Amino acid sequence: MELITTEILALLFAALRSATPVLAVVLGEIMTQRSGIINLGVEGQMLVGAMTGFAVTATTGDPWLGVLAACGAGMLLSLVHAALVLGCQANQIASGVAVMILGGGLSAFYGIPYVGEKINSFGSFKGSAVADLPVIGEFLAALTPTILVTLVSIPLISIFLYRTIAGLHWRSVGESAGITRNLGHSPVPYQFAAIVFGGLMSGFAGAALAVDYTSNWVEYMTSGRGLVAVGLVIVARWNPWYALPAALLFGVSESLNLRLQSWCVDISPYLLATLPYLIPLVVLMLSFRGLKAGGGGMPKGLKAVFQGN
Amino acid sequence: MTFGTFFRNNSLKSRWFVSGPWVPALIMVIGFVLVTMAFFAINGRAPLNLFIEMVKGGFGDGYSFSETLVKTSPILLTALAIALPARLGLISVGAEGQLYLGALFGTGAVLLAFDQPGWLLMPLMLAGAMLGGALWGAIPGLMKTRLGVNETISTLLLNYVGILLVSFVVHGPWKNPDSLGWPATVEFPEGAILPQFFDTRVHMGLIFGIVAAVILHILVTHSRWGLSLQVSRSNPRVGATAGISYEKNVLVVMAIGGLLAGLAGIAEASVIQNRLQDGLATGYGLTGFLVAWLAGQHFLRIIPLSILMGGLMASADSLQLYAQLPKASADILQALLFIIVLAVGGLWYRRSST
Repeated sequence: MELITTEILALLFAALRSATPVLAVVLGEIMTQRSGIINLGVEGQMLVGAMTGFAVTATTGDPWLGVLAACGAGMLLSLVHAALVLGCQANQIASGVAVMILGGGLSAFYGIPYVGEKINSFGSFKGSAVADLPVIGEFLAALTPTILVTLVSIPLISIFLYRTIAGLHWRSVGESAGITRNLGHSPVPYQFAAIVFGGLMSGFAGAALAVDYTSNWVEYMTSGRGLVAVGLVIVARWNPWYALPAALLFGVSESLNLRLQSWCVDISPYLLATLPYLIPLVVLMLSFRGLKAGGGGMPKGLKAVFQGN
Repeated sequence: MTFGTFFRNNSLKSRWFVSGPWVPALIMVIGFVLVTMAFFAINGRAPLNLFIEMVKGGFGDGYSFSETLVKTSPILLTALAIALPARLGLISVGAEGQLYLGALFGTGAVLLAFDQPGWLLMPLMLAGAMLGGALWGAIPGLMKTRLGVNETISTLLLNYVGILLVSFVVHGPWKNPDSLGWPATVEFPEGAILPQFFDTRVHMGLIFGIVAAVILHILVTHSRWGLSLQVSRSNPRVGATAGISYEKNVLVVMAIGGLLAGLAGIAEASVIQNRLQDGLATGYGLTGFLVAWLAGQHFLRIIPLSILMGGLMASADSLQLYAQLPKASADILQALLFIIVLAVGGLWYRRSST
């Protein structure tokens, strides 16, 4: 019995660890989409964040500097999306794909010297008082700073969105940019802030992946995590509180993949590796059905993007 | 009439020679050339020389042009796989996965009918490839019409699944036992290699692409089906009253698109690799997406633009050779081109689109 509890706890915490980068992107993208903008470029922003964070950590030896630099890099790249979508009225999906290709190319190009480098990542809480707690102490001690920062940002984001005037305007922009304009607020500053915040979170997510989770840099290492996150925003119903269970879907499927391999289950690792894509996709199908029936909390400004015609 | 009044009386935009579509196109080309040279300069390379090297690398002589055409075929086919659903207002990004599934099913057919003569093997292989691609296109189509799942997200996720499925078979059941750990199937028999032209690697895939582009153009502009796509796109309800099923049209365009991308996949496996292996054709799907947008989803314009983009990709090799710029520079240049086109196009057509 105890063995099963520990096994499940281990799986959950492993899921939380691998879900963290995705969770950060989901949170950022929720904020972006709440203003009526969709950004597929998060995949590229994540890669640029991962590469920059890893490179800065490798040169300075300070993972915190790496995380900061990653946030900056993600924000910088998101400016491209902001300029194209807000400045030039380009199609949001196309612009997102352009940012995705650019981010992938830039990170692969400038990241070459860092492939195979070793870095000193964050220490964990092993050996501190937390580790002595019964049952969960061992797992709590394995939590790392990026996990905590991401978890703390959930209440902060929801307080901002639901409890402040600026958050109210932010959401109203996403519901109808036209009406907001008529009420005397320009939607553009909000949408700009929303895209740049998404850049910050995806850059951070890149660092959470490369500096913290894997302590490693390989080109195109995000392998679709950013795109999965964009899908999970729908599963999370554009609500920061639901972002955690949605991201855990990815986390559980990924750690299940690793765990099943270590349990020597006789399934090809390549087939198991499809789980982190297929499980969110299946849940997405179920969520879309709810969406079709009752709206499901989708910002009205996104209707045109999601339902086409 | 003085010089001044000439300009005042004839607003610049109303005159044909400044209002034609070639003006933004020219701005895009100039912008791309400038940005490319800036990219070279930032990386400490002589911009002009390198740009000339790049053009030579894609179009300089017979050999480099043939290599450009080799890269053109998958780009052309995948671009068509994006442009056809776009005619119905669908934004599919799934050509990459469809390409892999085409290669997977096509290879499956080859392995099943391995000892058959070429006249039987080749059609079986192509049919398999078309089936695989069409399947991978139809799934997101079905998810769209049945459950309302946004096709952009489902196609993007299915790309990764498709690539992993190919990895699965080449590492697992279809792995050639004699290949000493190298994950690949056995070499295709003679009868399963698509015909090539003029002693180069340019292959039938290019012909498939051009023929498909022309047929699609004619169908979409001159047939009842093309008209039904138009009606479906602008107002599915009106279409339904006229007996046009939006759902059926979604399935058809996604499946045909996938079928074309599937052909691109089997052509890569058959001619370029001679076998199915990992890393079959990384990135062609996204390049196809880019080309379809550059062409404004216009089937005939996709042909020359695919050749240009094939040149850009072929010249990445020469960038590597002459300037030691990593291969990723081709991705960066593609993205910059896309960004410029979106920016100029967006600004130029802003008034007409609102």
